[in-house]
Amino acid sequence: MPKTKPAFSIKNGDEISLSDSALTELLRSILKRGLPFKFCAKGTSMHPFIRGGDVITVSPLIDKTPGIGNVVAFTHPKNNKLMVHRIYGKTPKGYKIKGDNITVSDGIIPDDYILGYVTGIERNAKSISLGLGLERYLIAFFTRKGRLYRLFLPTWRLIQFIKNIIRWR
Amino acid sequence: MEINVNLDSAYIPSDDVVAREIEGELIIVPLAAGIGDMEDELFTLNETGSAIWDLLKTQKKLRNVIEQLSEDFEAPADEIEKDVIGFVEELLKRGMLVEVAQD
Repeated sequence: MPKTKPAFSIKNGDEISLSDSALTELLRSILKRGLPFKFCAKGTSMHPFIRGGDVITVSPLIDKTPGIGNVVAFTHPKNNKLMVHRIYGKTPKGYKIKGDNITVSDGIIPDDYILGYVTGIERNAKSISLGLGLERYLIAFFTRKGRLYRLFLPTWRLIQFIKNIIRWR
Repeated sequence: MEINVNLDSAYIPSDDVVAREIEGELIIVPLAAGIGDMEDELFTLNETGSAIWDLLKTQKKLRNVIEQLSEDFEAPADEIEKDVIGFVEELLKRGMLVEVAQD
């Protein structure tokens, strides 16, 4: 116990920069209470479905077994790093998980390492649903085959382009 | 909203917060609308703030918390009282503490 006058300080969220392990601990404690947790995503490994700066909501796995196509938050058994990637397969030893935008798989992640699953994405204060709906099965399929960028995304962009033309008219 | 802090009451952490000591700091996340939101407000308490928080958790009357802190910090009780009341007011305003009336 310090022998000084107990002045206290309270810092607001925008003054706080949490380390990866601190974020993991908070995520774990809130999910343990059965509540979802929202935080800012970093990196490009899930581009374009989740981009750096997007705010993602991770929900607890209460009565839910994550399945193929779900985007899950987990700690990697090798380095304890918090990751948010997509399930593309299941084996008796665990889940096969991989970032949509990277070629290398995260390997097989045992069930115990899965913390929660992504139920919401916000970009520029707008809710984004692409990648979390039924299309997730297709994305997982293309991700597994390593063909997400070659096949799925050009097709998706074409659909968006046509939708925009219809909207402008 | 005016907040009156009563020395004969206990002030305990609200159920609507998750507090966790991480890397030497106590981080408190308010669970607004049943969700922990890092993009909203979250708070950290320094070592002394954490000491006050830990004593509040024991559900002691505020008067006893101040006495205990005065002993631990070897500081005059009136100085400690001012700081602790300020601390409790701040956290009550933010809904991070709740008052428990004592008999």
